[in-house]
Amino acid sequence: MRAFRRNTEASLSARFTADERSAIQSLAGQVAGLLSNRDSAAGDPALTRLLPDAYRGDTYSAAEFRRFTEDSLADNKIHNAAVVIDSLERATASSAEWVETTLDASEIQSWLRCLTDIRLTVAARLGIEADGDEGADDEEGLMLREVYDWLGFVQGSFIEALEP
Amino acid sequence: MPQTVERTDTRTDSHRVVAPDLPWVTLVWNDPVNLMSYVSYVFRSYFGYPKAEAERLMLQVHNHGRAVVATGPREAMERHVEAMHNYGLMSTVSKADS
Repeated sequence: MRAFRRNTEASLSARFTADERSAIQSLAGQVAGLLSNRDSAAGDPALTRLLPDAYRGDTYSAAEFRRFTEDSLADNKIHNAAVVIDSLERATASSAEWVETTLDASEIQSWLRCLTDIRLTVAARLGIEADGDEGADDEEGLMLREVYDWLGFVQGSFIEALEP
Repeated sequence: MPQTVERTDTRTDSHRVVAPDLPWVTLVWNDPVNLMSYVSYVFRSYFGYPKAEAERLMLQVHNHGRAVVATGPREAMERHVEAMHNYGLMSTVSKADS
């Protein structure tokens, strides 16, 4: 199955099952929710990864940079999640099994970044912190790991479709 | 970032040489989540690196933990880092000699 197909230089078709569509919408919503409630989610490893420090070993500069940029960074990510949710919302059935939607150049950029944010968030939930980490091996962890691997496939096929 | 790195002005002007103003770098750090193809794509599409250079920098990040992807004034490097964070890459600003 190929999730993405390039139409023109600035347009891409995305095809998912209804379940896959719901899953991506739900995950994008979770990322947006996390970023919209940063005060109550302070210290959440996913949030730390989505909004990382811009300086290492210089807490003053890191705090100053954050003070000036964090809100807009979070807003951009929330916007990207909304674009993903909306573009999937307007997807139409292309067969009994598939729903299909077309992404324009701006939506493509939102999708790229949001798929990344979703994978970063799921990885944080799995405790994946270094190359080779597999994440938790309890039942819930294994299910989430399957989602994570599938999202990696989706992201990979997205980039392949963008390659000239 | 060859296309946007500001050139140091080394012309002799009124008997003085303008000091180089390039003490800052943008670093991108390895992480276990982002795909190699994605990192390479970001280096090409954002910085405008040719494919071979983007691949070289991506492999440097992957194999050595980090790479300098741009050099220039501090404010320009901060803008790059902000863009990298928008893409979900681990990125920091640093003094060039640190």
